[in-house]
Amino acid sequence: MKANFQPGIHPDADQLSVFVEGVASPHEHQRMLAHLAECAECRKAVFLMQPQEETQAPRPEPVKGWTWRRLLPMALPAAALACAVIALVVYLRPHGGSPEVLQQNASVRQPEIPRPPTTVAPTTNSESFARSESPKKSSAPSAAAPNFARQTKQAANGVQLPEAKNQQIADNIASPPIALAAPSPSAPVAGVAAGVSGGVGSGTVSDLPLNGRNFTKLQQLTPGVTKGGASQNSLALKKELPALEIEGAGARDATLGGVSGRVTDPTGAVVAGATITLRDASGKTRQTTTGTDGSFHLTELPAGRYDLMATATGFKTKEQSIELKASEVAVMAPVLDVGTASETVEVTGAAPTLETESASMSRIMPVPSGLPVAATVSLGKRSLSLDSAGNLFLSRNGGKKWKKINPKWAGKAVHIELKQPSDSGSLPQRGNETPSSVSAIDVFQLTTDTNAVWTSKDGTHWHQQ
Amino acid sequence: MDTPSANIIPTEPSGGKDCTTASVAKEIAVETEPTPESRLLPEMLGEELWRTAGAEAVEVSKAEFSQALETIGARDNFGLEPGKQASERQRETFWRALHLEELAIARGCALGRESAWRYFLAQYQDKLTRAAVEMTRSAVLGEELASALYSELFGLTEHEGKRWSPLLGYSGRGSLIGWLRAILAQRRVDQYRKIGRETALNEIEPAAAVSEQIELKRLEDLQVALKMTLSGASAEERFLLWAYYLDQHTLEEISGVLRVHVATVSRKLKRATDRLRKQLLRTLVAQGLSRRAAEEALGSDPRDIEINLRKLLQNSENAPIPDKEEQG
Repeated sequence: MKANFQPGIHPDADQLSVFVEGVASPHEHQRMLAHLAECAECRKAVFLMQPQEETQAPRPEPVKGWTWRRLLPMALPAAALACAVIALVVYLRPHGGSPEVLQQNASVRQPEIPRPPTTVAPTTNSESFARSESPKKSSAPSAAAPNFARQTKQAANGVQLPEAKNQQIADNIASPPIALAAPSPSAPVAGVAAGVSGGVGSGTVSDLPLNGRNFTKLQQLTPGVTKGGASQNSLALKKELPALEIEGAGARDATLGGVSGRVTDPTGAVVAGATITLRDASGKTRQTTTGTDGSFHLTELPAGRYDLMATATGFKTKEQSIELKASEVAVMAPVLDVGTASETVEVTGAAPTLETESASMSRIMPVPSGLPVAATVSLGKRSLSLDSAGNLFLSRNGGKKWKKINPKWAGKAVHIELKQPSDSGSLPQRGNETPSSVSAIDVFQLTTDTNAVWTSKDGTHWHQQ
Repeated sequence: MDTPSANIIPTEPSGGKDCTTASVAKEIAVETEPTPESRLLPEMLGEELWRTAGAEAVEVSKAEFSQALETIGARDNFGLEPGKQASERQRETFWRALHLEELAIARGCALGRESAWRYFLAQYQDKLTRAAVEMTRSAVLGEELASALYSELFGLTEHEGKRWSPLLGYSGRGSLIGWLRAILAQRRVDQYRKIGRETALNEIEPAAAVSEQIELKRLEDLQVALKMTLSGASAEERFLLWAYYLDQHTLEEISGVLRVHVATVSRKLKRATDRLRKQLLRTLVAQGLSRRAAEEALGSDPRDIEINLRKLLQNSENAPIPDKEEQG
């Protein structure tokens, strides 16, 4: 039989089929190739034996399939990761207060909803993210967070939700815990609604169709709610109530609180440059001065009883005692009387007469130096803090992270404030607790112990005046 | 074993389908297989393989099946190179790797067993006809080719004075349908050759008219150089060169025969072509031609070298089989 491979003698059908089917041993394969190289007839036969579908098999189509098969395992995790990132951004943005970005996120999520493989992943990711975040917060936001994620998805889907769901969303937006005097379970909603009507216009939250676009509007309203509410309340309280408000100190700040407020004279005009001294029970003091708008802010305060003393040249010294609870910010509005008298007002944190307002706040981290903060001023999301040693720190994210500013000035910085050359009087209060829109004329101003004045628009680049 | 050239096309092509298997079975003379190797297959293994093959269902006895296994093993030396002695384990591995069920059917058909033919017709008749139509690219020619093969398989042809079925040559190493396609292809090539003797030679362009760039003397020199180069090339390279340049098969078709990726075929073919071209250039330069003139003679354009190589190969003795369809 092997003689069939001799020149001129052809292999039989069995040998040909063994060769073509690839089951020939190596030496049989070589001998068959050698014969085929010489024998046109057998070459013709082996090509005729090829089924048409097999000869077409190695063509480019399988190569495409191979490529897709290679990419598919990478594409699915990538899609899941993208969904997780989107869920993260959508969840974080309401607290950061950047409405434009939120709207983009909502529109991005929308086309992904109908796809079966990705509908599960975003929901799971967003909820699991919310669960992972919840231990950092109090119980109320943790319960609301998955709900928020689901509502965001529905809102992005353009679904008209009933009013009850709108309230849920408003509740979720105003997620920080309400410390005081909630008259009804729907008090946060009422607070938001009042803020909308007072600060923005005549519409109410429930009037807005809750699609992606209006959901964004709702987010835009939130900072205004806080701002407008604080401004109006402070004016109202000046006449009727003790000049103290207490705000929730932010969802993530579980232990530290703060004091902020505005110092005015009996006519309602703000008192700039007043010295605010806060003394705790052990006698440690924190000091700051009011800005040109009369506002002051002291943060990172442990809970406890404090004595606040406001002094200004030409005014009587005013002292107030406050009982600061954990995770609360006391808003005070001392009214300085002309003269040299002193008064002490004692207020407990649970005073039922105080009006509460919710605020969307981010956690304010202590400055890296670890020293007490002497003063903090905020311009938009940029905050400057001056510690007791005269070190200046800048935060670009509302106080979450601080970066030390290397001083260009000689001496020690003793005072920082926001400079407002046009003193319109209608400018909103500024501070790290009340994010507000940034005016083009606002600049940071720093005063050194040599009375040199430096200004900066961004807190980083300083110029001497 | 028979050769394609020795096969005889049956005089009654349609008889393969019409004849009754019972009448054929009595008249078929089965080749007597040599018996000394019988002892190579242990009885236990032989029975196991016989049961695995379902040979009883196609009326093939244990002894007949064992004898077939012994014959096949001895014929192919159990897949080893000639002269090597297969161990017991190698023999068992070889036998177990066979397509035992299909081997039993083929043996049953070759022995004229009616139940085997029922199996065969049920499983392979349509496939065989489709394959024949595919090869001939004609329903009429395909039916005719398949019918002729059927009559041959039934044992209507005589071999050394006895009725003989080509199915006896099926070893079970490949699939039965693969074997059927191979024998169909051989019969188809037989048809080509018959036609080719009359017409094909006129279709091939004479080498002298192939290239105006190459003078006749240079052409003869190139033929010598080509032979020398090809003789030094591996079997696979020669097969590639012939199949691609001479038979003008596509890379995909060649990759299907060699069972390698088309990119591999392309790479190997390029390597073989480059080597062949360099050798031809060297030969021309050795004959006094300048390097530039030699390159021009072979063609500086890559397409020229393909054309010239094809024509050189066509002018050699290994002429291709014309792929002309026979009408009618």
